[in-house]
Amino acid sequence: MEESRDGDWTLVARKPYFGLPTACPVCLPVYIYLKFARCPFNLEINSAYPDSDQIPYVEGGTYVAYNNEKGGVIQQLKQDGVVDLDSEFSSLPEWVSMKAMMSSWLADAITYELWLGSGENSAKQIYYSDLPWVIGKVLFVKQVYDVKQRFNISKQNAEKKEEESERMAVIVSTIASANTMSKNKLFHPCRPTSLDADLVGHVLFTLKALPEDSVIRAALLEHGNLVRYAERHKNDFLTSGQSSASASNFQPPPSAAQARLMESLSGSKPKRKPKREKTEEEKSFQRKAKYFIGAQLVAVLLFLSLLGSSSKADLDEDDED
Amino acid sequence: MAKPDEFKPDSPSENPKTEVDDENGDDGYEEEEEEETEEHELDEEEDDEPEPQLRGRIPQSAVRMQQAKLQGLFQRLQTQTVPLRVHDVLIKGNTKTKDYLIESEAALFKNCTTMQQILEVSRAVNFRLQALEIFDSVKITLDSGPPELPGTSNVIVEVQEAKSPLSGEIGAYTKAEARSSTVEGTLKFKNIFGHGDLWDGSFAYGWDNLAELSAGVHFPRFRGASFPLDVRAFLLSQDWLQFSSFKERSMGLSVALLSSTNHDLVYNLGWRTLTDPSQLASRSVRMQLGHSLLSSLKYTFKVDRRNSPLRPVRGYAFAATSQIAGLAPDSRCSRFLRQEVDLRYAIPLGILNSALNLGISGGIVFPWGTGFKTLPSPLPDRFFLGGNSSPISSLGGPTTVWGYRTRGLDPTEPRRQLKSNGGDEDAADPGVDFLGGDLAVTAFADLSLDFPLRWFRDRGIHGHIFASAGSLERLTQNAYKDFSLQKFVSSFRTSVGAGIVVPIQPFRLELNYYYMLKKFEHDRGKPRFGVTFSM
Repeated sequence: MEESRDGDWTLVARKPYFGLPTACPVCLPVYIYLKFARCPFNLEINSAYPDSDQIPYVEGGTYVAYNNEKGGVIQQLKQDGVVDLDSEFSSLPEWVSMKAMMSSWLADAITYELWLGSGENSAKQIYYSDLPWVIGKVLFVKQVYDVKQRFNISKQNAEKKEEESERMAVIVSTIASANTMSKNKLFHPCRPTSLDADLVGHVLFTLKALPEDSVIRAALLEHGNLVRYAERHKNDFLTSGQSSASASNFQPPPSAAQARLMESLSGSKPKRKPKREKTEEEKSFQRKAKYFIGAQLVAVLLFLSLLGSSSKADLDEDDED
Repeated sequence: MAKPDEFKPDSPSENPKTEVDDENGDDGYEEEEEEETEEHELDEEEDDEPEPQLRGRIPQSAVRMQQAKLQGLFQRLQTQTVPLRVHDVLIKGNTKTKDYLIESEAALFKNCTTMQQILEVSRAVNFRLQALEIFDSVKITLDSGPPELPGTSNVIVEVQEAKSPLSGEIGAYTKAEARSSTVEGTLKFKNIFGHGDLWDGSFAYGWDNLAELSAGVHFPRFRGASFPLDVRAFLLSQDWLQFSSFKERSMGLSVALLSSTNHDLVYNLGWRTLTDPSQLASRSVRMQLGHSLLSSLKYTFKVDRRNSPLRPVRGYAFAATSQIAGLAPDSRCSRFLRQEVDLRYAIPLGILNSALNLGISGGIVFPWGTGFKTLPSPLPDRFFLGGNSSPISSLGGPTTVWGYRTRGLDPTEPRRQLKSNGGDEDAADPGVDFLGGDLAVTAFADLSLDFPLRWFRDRGIHGHIFASAGSLERLTQNAYKDFSLQKFVSSFRTSVGAGIVVPIQPFRLELNYYYMLKKFEHDRGKPRFGVTFSM
């Protein structure tokens, strides 16, 4: 494995490719999240275990946050008090719904495109290029089968599922684009959150790793502000490097690291806007949030009505009993 | 004039037939005296006077004369060299088995020049044909050769092919490609294609949590080659969660290219996967989880001149195993070199059948290829010391230090620490992972002696006092720069003990008491009673 030894924390992720520090759509948001948190960490590459659901994981001493535990790496880092950028927002309903969209619709659409759509070659480059040919081939076929099982795809409904996946991606892109139109961040204008990490990660992956004939990529390119938003953050974390000044503050156990991190975040101030403009932006943000919640409810109800009719029938039978 | 003392077996009308082996493969040969007495003629001169035709009665004078001739024949066979060549080997009874297979086993007859040699070779050929396991019986008969070629004979090999092609067996084995001894159940299909092929499916369970399912085929002489060919497909699973927080699963092909008493050459091609279902592995183990391709050639040279591997009293044994992995055009497969050496020496002491057994074993593993100095050695191929087998009878590299539990020696690394549900307090200590070493050396001295009671001596039960030592060291990932011989010697763990040995063929059972003279913090060994079981 390749390894750099600048800090105590280590992120183990898939290999870099397409100009990205890690080309895996699951690993990239975690990488960006740690960068947003200005948490010094080493990046280690694991190319021998492409089918592991434990990767990415963050380790420090005897502490490990695996991806397949407690809702993912980011969620686990928040729960264990290692690094939490969402402490003020995670209880807000709009936050919850936006998070659900990112982690389900957009992530699923990218997964579909990567393994079952036009991203097959990209998947092979990212996950199997460092494995012997025969092993890579077998694991790729197995992974495609697993994805089909996960999305319940058969020959009869393959086309329908593809359209649905693309539609979800378009919806999320549109909503995300609206929210990032007038500010630097997705959810809060002043500080990045895990939502920003998710969105930047997914957008960068879609733009860099998926081929030009990808429908999702084409839909994203229609929202120029999203592209600029993602590129801006990419330049930030690719040029900032490791934060050596605060390296000594981040040490296991996680509780001590969290305290220092929250001190540094609470001490940060908005960079350019005077107090008057901040107030107007906050009002505008709250207004948009209400419209957004309404649009979300309609979209979710529409989705459930189209595909959840069988579950409603079950609920009716339970009510009668 | 005929010369009664001269033996000339050729005669057109009366041809002597000698049946040299029967279906049980007896070592001696039998002559059918009554028939041959009538037919066998030693004198060249024909008898002008015709024998009187007697109904059921042979004159006593004729019987005595024939007996005398036969005794003379036996005497000459024992004391004189009787020149006789084999003209042809005739094969009978094989309906399915290809002629070339039997002919190749019987090829030794061509070099025979005397009757005695023919009889010796007949025994050997019978044994080799029986060893193919495809015949129910093998009978070899000598017949006189063509009359125009005096001094020759024909060999008739009559086989009876196995009626049932299916057989099963259960046994204990130690294979060249296996890491430990196993108990196996096997189902065999014999001679399906007539090439002496043996097809088998087997399930094996080893002492170190090893389970293996395999299917293979054995060709004694594939397409006329002079050596056998063994091809085996295997699916192997080994559980090391308790000791090192990983499970190993391998599937692939194993081809035994050369297999003889002293030499074994095996090629292995396998897909190996290391997983950690417990998600408690230490950092070094986490780095090694995943898939790898193993393409390796393993050569073993072994010579064992001890009187008995279970209780050696005199003699020596030496074994060396060399393995090179990475023999594939794909540079992404696992690459390493591995070498093991074993030496055993038994010195008889002359009292109570006592003997001093000395042994030393060593091994080293190192990766090769680009950046090999910074690469770790593969975890499953490292050396781990400890376990419940005796170093006296096994010749499989450095594996055992008496008294230490399986994989019970440093180096170790702390496992993942889980947070408890009760807040900031840590959960219970998950323990350590045993990581093995790239360099391992073990040594032992064992004094064995009989008990005074005859009851024990009759059953081979004896006592022994022993001392052993061993150590592991990391060399890879630049650790070799910190290696020093003095530091390595000072890291040796030592143990002593005494016990009773019960040989139960083919196993060696020891009931011992161990005492650790030197151990490190995480070593898993303490003064205790224990049992070792080896073969």
